Amino acid sequence: MWWYVGKRLLQTIPVFLGATLILFILLKLRPGDPILNLAGNKPVSDEVRDALAAQYHLDDPLFIQWLQFVKSAITLDFGETFAGQPVIELIGQTFPVTVTLAVMALLIDAILGIGLGTLAGLRRNGWFDSSMLVISLALLSIPIFVLGFVLQLIFGVKLGWVEPTVGPDWNIGKLLLPAIVLAIANFAYTIRLTRTSVAENLTADHVRTARAKGLSNRLVVRNHVLRNSLVPVVTYIGINLGSLMAGAIITETIFNIPGIGNAAYTAIAKGETSTVVAIVTFMVMVYVLMSLLVDLIYAVLDPRIRYV
Amino acid sequence: MRLTRRTRLAGVALVAVASLTLAACGGDSDSKSSSDGNVITVYGTNPQNPLIPTATNEVGGGDPLQNLFSGLTAYNSDGSVVNEVAESIEPNEDSTVWTVKLKPWKFTDGSDVTSKSFVNAWNYGATAANKQLNNYFFYPIEGTDEEGYTVDGADTISGLKIIDDTSFTITLKEPESDFPLRLGYSAYFPVPDAAYDASGKITKEFGERPIGNGPYKLSKSGWERNKQISLVPNPDYTGAHKPKNDGLIFKFYAGGGTDAAYTDVQSNNLDVLDQVPPSALKTFESDKKVTAYNEPGSNFSSFTIPERLKHFSGEEGELRRAAISMALNRGQITDKIFNNTRTPATDFTSPVLDGWVEDVPGNEVLQYNADEAKKLWAQADAIQKWTGSFQLAYNNDGAGNKEFVDAVTNQIKTTLGIDSSGKVYPTFDELRKDITDRTIKTAFRTGWQADYPSMLNYLGPIYATGAGSNDGDYSNKEFDKLVQQASSATGDDRYKLISQAQTILLKDLPAVPLWYQNATAATSTKLKGFEFNWQQKPDYYKLTK
Repeated sequence: MWWYVGKRLLQTIPVFLGATLILFILLKLRPGDPILNLAGNKPVSDEVRDALAAQYHLDDPLFIQWLQFVKSAITLDFGETFAGQPVIELIGQTFPVTVTLAVMALLIDAILGIGLGTLAGLRRNGWFDSSMLVISLALLSIPIFVLGFVLQLIFGVKLGWVEPTVGPDWNIGKLLLPAIVLAIANFAYTIRLTRTSVAENLTADHVRTARAKGLSNRLVVRNHVLRNSLVPVVTYIGINLGSLMAGAIITETIFNIPGIGNAAYTAIAKGETSTVVAIVTFMVMVYVLMSLLVDLIYAVLDPRIRYV
Repeated sequence: MRLTRRTRLAGVALVAVASLTLAACGGDSDSKSSSDGNVITVYGTNPQNPLIPTATNEVGGGDPLQNLFSGLTAYNSDGSVVNEVAESIEPNEDSTVWTVKLKPWKFTDGSDVTSKSFVNAWNYGATAANKQLNNYFFYPIEGTDEEGYTVDGADTISGLKIIDDTSFTITLKEPESDFPLRLGYSAYFPVPDAAYDASGKITKEFGERPIGNGPYKLSKSGWERNKQISLVPNPDYTGAHKPKNDGLIFKFYAGGGTDAAYTDVQSNNLDVLDQVPPSALKTFESDKKVTAYNEPGSNFSSFTIPERLKHFSGEEGELRRAAISMALNRGQITDKIFNNTRTPATDFTSPVLDGWVEDVPGNEVLQYNADEAKKLWAQADAIQKWTGSFQLAYNNDGAGNKEFVDAVTNQIKTTLGIDSSGKVYPTFDELRKDITDRTIKTAFRTGWQADYPSMLNYLGPIYATGAGSNDGDYSNKEFDKLVQQASSATGDDRYKLISQAQTILLKDLPAVPLWYQNATAATSTKLKGFEFNWQQKPDYYKLTK
């Protein structure tokens, strides 16, 4: 298995190179002039313009810029933002917030989604199942920013149960409401996926065999239905951590969370190529590692899967 | 449980998840920003540049800087000017040489504020090699070029002469009677000796933790990146803006979003938001959870029609410009689109300034008059038949731009019966790049945020021949002459000359004035002492709870 893990980790190298190259090309396609942003649209002499362009490698050919970036990135040196902060420090500051938010959303998603989905699957076509289908459909149809603003208004401003925004002094309690908002759309999917998977497995041969052996309903559901049903659900939830982090940008803006989504947004708006690339690369890496993790959990759920 | 291969795998997975979660717990700890006491929390964004007076040119860093440093002069809320560090600033008879005398004054590290503190800081800012972004402000001083850099790579401005520790002279390129008005701007703040390293560069540490001479100084926690800047009153400060509160906290809003800040004001987590988000403009004045402010401000909005555009030069161009201006019902747009947070323009400056009058001769061209507009357009057609479409370029990253451009072009279309539409640029810098490169082929939205409270600052830098922000390459000798004369005149004479200069602009319409942007703010209901200054900013030192 360790060989498998090593092999997968080695695969991240081409992913890293490819992703950063694509990012560089995309950002180069963004028209406009970062130096103008930097200078606040006041006249700048050619001398200063050249010096600034050299400092941020803005005038080099794209490929050279990319090579420069990769070279420095290997030593974890991602350069400085236009504001003079080392990018790695910016990531170190903002990343934990986003990860906490995403992991909290993931937990809410997994616990509620799998729990309710299983119940619905076991009682399929009953009133509980039907109402879950209706509720999840409703949740899926609400855009996340609408939900964010509405919940913020109700629980934060009107009722005053929670602080409406998170702000720089964030903690888990303050992140709860945004995490719920972030989890909701995904969790509706998880319910539906679990429900279908459970319902399908209930009629499978091995479940019938297990019942025929006289195993208790509890054991059958836990060992034979759930374990098999969870394989697709785990894939979905695992891959979701990546998209949760990307999706967090909307939630981060609404709730003023000092996370990586906001940092990326600011950097894109100002045309700070190297900052954007560093942040996005970081997220790509998380995505890659998450899918590795998901693959490893498979083996736990399904012993037939072996990594050699 | 037996330790099977599978449980080991689960172990690997668990450790990985746990390390992610542990890493996640590093962020929350220490300092809870105190909402108690008389400390005022205000809206802020993470500064984009080090906190050096000549380096910062955006509000995120500018607001804290304004409170950390004191210049030679300071601005009162009504736009008038008082001497701050300066004991006196006296001109020679044609206002080209200014002699500055200083009061005894100290930086917060205990060192004296001397002539050197000013002269060295300005020299530093004007030297191109130092890459300071506020170089532009030094251009009136002799020994600098058009962009405000010292000429020929010199590292001192030849127009600055130190007489002794408490006096120095400033020689200007041209007469300028309102020069002291400039000197309250942050580019002209003094910098202590402690800021420079052995090679004469301002250090990175100073940029992170500046030592100033202003009403406030940095608190112990100071500037925490992406979080806040916290200031406490400077006990040794003796100037005109003595703080009435126990400190200021500029709380950063990530991504600059004012929506979250507005919600915070509603729920008493933030005391001052000095720009109401577009989403709340309709409701903030009736919102019982906030105190609302909405007054005409100093930002001027217009759109520029470059003379190089076909049909817009000479007599034909003059007629068409007047027709377009009269085709616009400004009041309707400011009401319907901006909920009266804009005030229709009646000139090229701003009503918050000293000397402003409503009735500049010739400003009826800014009144909606459909019949006259049609007539003028027909007259222009008689000279040369109109072809093509009138397009107005705007950047889509500014709130409300699309809406007002659609309204403006619609009114032109309806009144003049020509094809007219907006031309969208995704971001401001993309639009500005095409404007500065002169590659733009359409009219475009423009605006002016003044550097110092003088009507001339709204005219000279934008419409004088060859001026730095003259995006439409407008040139009128007579206008140039009047602006120059006004620069050295004082009192009523000066305002008369400015009025005459504006009358020329109203005839030529190098840019079509649209409206003055109102200053809007929402504060918590507990906050007292809120008042806008001419920069549309609250006077922070006056705020109390």
